[in-house]
Amino acid sequence: MRMPPFQLHTPTSLEEAILIAGDMTSKKQEFDWVAGGTDLLPNYKWHLNVKANVISLAKISELTELNETHIGAMVRLQDLVQSSATHPVLAKAADTVASIMVRRSGTVGGNICLDTRCYWFNQTEQWRESIDWCHKCDCGTEADCRVIPNQNTLCVATYQADLAPVLMCLGATIHLAGPNGTRSMALSEFFQLDGMTRNVLQTGELVTHLTLPEDVAEWQGDYQKLRQRESWDFPEAGVAAVWKKNGSAKPSQLRVATTGLESIPMLHTKQVDECLDGWSGAESINELAESIRKAVKPVQNTWFSPSYRRKMVKVLTRRACAGLMEGGS
Amino acid sequence: MSKDGNEDEMVGYRQQPGKLPFAKPGSGGKNQFSRPTDKEMIPESQGGDLAQPWGSHRHDKLVSGQIIGKPTALVDGKWKVTGQAQYGDDIRLPGELIGRIIRSPHHYARVLSIDFSKALELPGVVAIATGADAENKFGVLPVTKDEHAMAVEKVRHVGDLVACVAAEDEATAREAERLIEVEYEILDSIHDMRDGLQDSEHPIHDRGKYHIGDANVQKRVFQEFGDVDGIEQNAIASHKENWLFAGVNHAATEPHAVVANWDPSGRLTLYTPQQVPHYVHRALADVLEIPMHQINVYRTFVGGGFGGKSDPFPHEMCSAILARKSGRPVRITFDREEVYWINRGRHPSRIEMNLHADEQGRICGIETDALIDGGGFASFGHVTTYYNGVLHTAPYEIGAFHYTGARVWTNKPASGAMRGHGAVNSRCAVETGLDDLAEQLSVDPIDLRLANLLPPHSATITGFRVTSIGMRECLERVKQESGWDEKFRKMPLGKGIGIGCGFFISGSGLPIHWDPNKFPHATVHLKIDMDGGVTVHTGAADIGQGSDTVVAQSVAEVLGLPLDLIRIRSKESDTSPVDLGSYSSRVTFMNANAAISAAMQIRDELLDATAEITGAERGKLVIGDRRIFAKNDPAVGVSYLEALHKAQEDRGALVASGAYRTPPMGRTHKGAAAGLAPAYSFSAYVAEVSVDVETGQTKVDKVWAAHDCGKALNPLAVKGQIIGSCHMGMGQVLSEEMKYGRSGHLMNPDLLDYKIPSVHEMPDVFPIIVESNDPEGPFGAKEAGEGPLLPILPAVCNAVYDAIGVRTAELPITPDRLLRLIERKCKAEGVDDPLELPSPRLEHSELQSVLLNRATEHAKRDLDRRHNENREPYHNGALFGLDPTTPPDEVDEKWAVNVIPSEEYLADPRLAGSAWKHTERRHRGDS
Repeated sequence: MRMPPFQLHTPTSLEEAILIAGDMTSKKQEFDWVAGGTDLLPNYKWHLNVKANVISLAKISELTELNETHIGAMVRLQDLVQSSATHPVLAKAADTVASIMVRRSGTVGGNICLDTRCYWFNQTEQWRESIDWCHKCDCGTEADCRVIPNQNTLCVATYQADLAPVLMCLGATIHLAGPNGTRSMALSEFFQLDGMTRNVLQTGELVTHLTLPEDVAEWQGDYQKLRQRESWDFPEAGVAAVWKKNGSAKPSQLRVATTGLESIPMLHTKQVDECLDGWSGAESINELAESIRKAVKPVQNTWFSPSYRRKMVKVLTRRACAGLMEGGS
Repeated sequence: MSKDGNEDEMVGYRQQPGKLPFAKPGSGGKNQFSRPTDKEMIPESQGGDLAQPWGSHRHDKLVSGQIIGKPTALVDGKWKVTGQAQYGDDIRLPGELIGRIIRSPHHYARVLSIDFSKALELPGVVAIATGADAENKFGVLPVTKDEHAMAVEKVRHVGDLVACVAAEDEATAREAERLIEVEYEILDSIHDMRDGLQDSEHPIHDRGKYHIGDANVQKRVFQEFGDVDGIEQNAIASHKENWLFAGVNHAATEPHAVVANWDPSGRLTLYTPQQVPHYVHRALADVLEIPMHQINVYRTFVGGGFGGKSDPFPHEMCSAILARKSGRPVRITFDREEVYWINRGRHPSRIEMNLHADEQGRICGIETDALIDGGGFASFGHVTTYYNGVLHTAPYEIGAFHYTGARVWTNKPASGAMRGHGAVNSRCAVETGLDDLAEQLSVDPIDLRLANLLPPHSATITGFRVTSIGMRECLERVKQESGWDEKFRKMPLGKGIGIGCGFFISGSGLPIHWDPNKFPHATVHLKIDMDGGVTVHTGAADIGQGSDTVVAQSVAEVLGLPLDLIRIRSKESDTSPVDLGSYSSRVTFMNANAAISAAMQIRDELLDATAEITGAERGKLVIGDRRIFAKNDPAVGVSYLEALHKAQEDRGALVASGAYRTPPMGRTHKGAAAGLAPAYSFSAYVAEVSVDVETGQTKVDKVWAAHDCGKALNPLAVKGQIIGSCHMGMGQVLSEEMKYGRSGHLMNPDLLDYKIPSVHEMPDVFPIIVESNDPEGPFGAKEAGEGPLLPILPAVCNAVYDAIGVRTAELPITPDRLLRLIERKCKAEGVDDPLELPSPRLEHSELQSVLLNRATEHAKRDLDRRHNENREPYHNGALFGLDPTTPPDEVDEKWAVNVIPSEEYLADPRLAGSAWKHTERRHRGDS
């Protein structure tokens, strides 16, 4: 029984799920959503911020729709990999997630909402007791951050999911539902720079689906992932780049986003704009890669050192953009 | 039923005793009829067709062509694949309690008080124990017993055991854990092994008058052999490197688990997945203060050991203590992080390696200084400290060997024995050093090795008796099959190929726990009753390596029986003879020898019975598949069962006991026994890698892996060991690392962040079996379980150099580390883009032909020594002009053996050598 006890709720419709969540919120009962469980349950086994109630979305069939421009939150990652409706860059990124067994359980929504990770946090209870806990799971001790000591206002745990940068580049809109109704926003606005709050989801609110713009098929691109092993590992850094070309060597549009480097994934609009403004081919890509390297600020809380991860962002950006230089148009 | 349709035979069986169809030709086994003897399986020396390029063997006459040398599925494999194998945590006894261990949250602290009253009040909690319940010390080596079941006075690392609790279920046990209040006084902890060499206010252990100063030095070794003073004068090329090896863990699939039960008669049965059940047996008796005969150690199936299950463990004591307190069975199963806290993995090490070559391309000196980080306890460390030195005194003939080694205690989980025990890190340093020497001398590194090998039947510089050597053949095979000459120093940037060799003991010559003159190393009992099945009682612990299978094969071969007539009983100390366990790669060599010796006695009885029945001449009888017959007239003979029943006539079941002990070996200097073995294995690997110079990522593409195992009794298992060793060694060289954070905590005690290579990282491995036919090995066999791990590390390091011209001195070669070296290289070469780095190239110097000539001569020498029974002794040193027939220190005073450092050395010692600056307390006069 490593798993702590909790009450499991299994609503069969979105409406029922929101009702249960709303009810618990009003009674001030704490709960977590669980989709595939590949993120939440390992954390529960380590007694990380365990709640007394867990609402499973597994039986809600309306969240599993998948086509070219609509991805339900409960679409399994492996289904996303294998579907012909999936944009090739998204499929490539999804195919790098963990292992096939995890992908058969893990979901798109779960991947987007992946909890941030940290060497000082993703540990067992006994281990965390030995460092006197940390800010992200302080067990009532008001413990400091262990990565950057002497500050306990911000958690710097790292967002290490693969889909977000690609979806952000492709211009995805994320759709939420909760007791107060539904709302939508650009995916890039969904995340909040804090390893604990992570995103804009309110209590009782959940991700229902993502939509992609109609012209999504016209975008080409690539996703590059840094990790020690070709399986299982979370991204130590991830770079997605997509572009549109209109016959000329210079792309008409270019977007680059990164993951695995800070508490949120980031779309690098400013750097890309500068690159396109002064476009000079391969040299511009190098400059873009360098400016993105400068823009990211990883900390020492994953397998590779921050300095290495930053250097690799440059290499990965260049490689992700390699397709841009091929074929001229 | 029967072939001839005589179905009435069973009728009237009671009226016709003796008429049962037991004795039909070939009866017994799944196949009713015996096969004709396969001449291909019978050695030339016995008139068969099996070629013996390495000569005949004393066991040749026992070969019945049954199963030795045939790829054989492990006899316990079906239990595993059908899920019927019971591992430690699968043992379920009625009324069991679940035990949990309360562990230290501090690196180093004095335990002031433990208050478990609240926990004891929790409904469902049955028993709680602390260090006060069992204060006797234990440890795997009798000379360094420094462990307690639970902390007595002090905790020595995060995760050290403080108390334990048994409850009705795991949830309650975990709840009780939280209710136990422990008060600590925190002490200054040590994390850097270099600090362990200094005097300390609170040394982690106190060894009384044997304590080395006030330092945390657990063991120190100083050894000098050969012409050490002449190195400087003789050397024309020298290599020096300071290595840093991260600690690695065995990461066996099965976490440790144990069940203890006191039966109504008052005896204890301990169910545990142990590699070395006998030492647990002894330790339990010490800790529980009960005689050994009151204890039955039951070895469950072992889900991987690799050395990580070879110590007697404190949690095993805890379960027994809790079971005694509660009167109920207690089961303790580790979480993965607890596996890392008990550790016993490979020592984090700092090794300074100096290699020297003279103008003839001879290795005129090896100077090694190894500081190893033992963590909180001694474990096997006494031996490890020696092994880091002595196990690289072969396979090369060397002019001088200087070794200083020290093992220190630090406040980390204890290091211990792990596959390739003590030899892996320093071997990596030696083999990469040789690569560098070859580079400096502008010669081919394989040819450099081939021109410096010890011959068969020789003595190393430290006096180890080496018998069979297949090193030359290993090197020649991998050189040829990898296409070495077309690839080495010829591939484009980022592609490389490298060589590495290995040398390992095949069974430790000195048993840990007793005088080998009083007890044998291994004993095997056989029992055969009228059904014809052979019950084999052995204490050899099958840890997945296939020891049950190899013992079964040996018995089956000698008695000419199919494998399904052999049943192995190896699990319980109550029924199996004492065995020292599965460590030091001893099992095949020692247990199969013992099994053969037992089977020979049964064989003799069967031959006697056959001679009596048939009247044939005893000396002309041979054993085939379930049939014993005259060699010159196979029609004259009886079935196995007929012979068996005849032999049983007056005494019932046949029983036999066979044993093995090593011959007297080695020299007499202090530490001379460390590294002694009745035989040694040899291996040579070539690895081909791709390195991404922009990211520093290394991918091993192919490995040609030649291993001299003497004789592959089961080629399937040998290949499995070679491939498995490659995987494990690749983990250590590329990605596996116990990573300690800036606060001294182990940051990755889980299998996501402890980076074991996945199937994607695994290269194509081409196993090459070399059979050097060891004269003392069972049917010629030597070990294949640990030696094959050694060469993969240096082979990969050397291949990385060939690919990008960068030498690493820190393992694992993670991409971030390698990239730093690449950047440094770029700076040195003055290039901005790593893709423009030059690839290493080789133009042979004049020395190359000298080496080739010498290698050719030596190949002839070796062949002669292999076959000539009247060979003269050969001592290391002959290559340097000394008389080969006497130990060099007896003929040349420059080659004196020295195990105490001189004042001169102590004035400027190397890192580990500085451990000798301290004086043992008994010599200080203040004990």
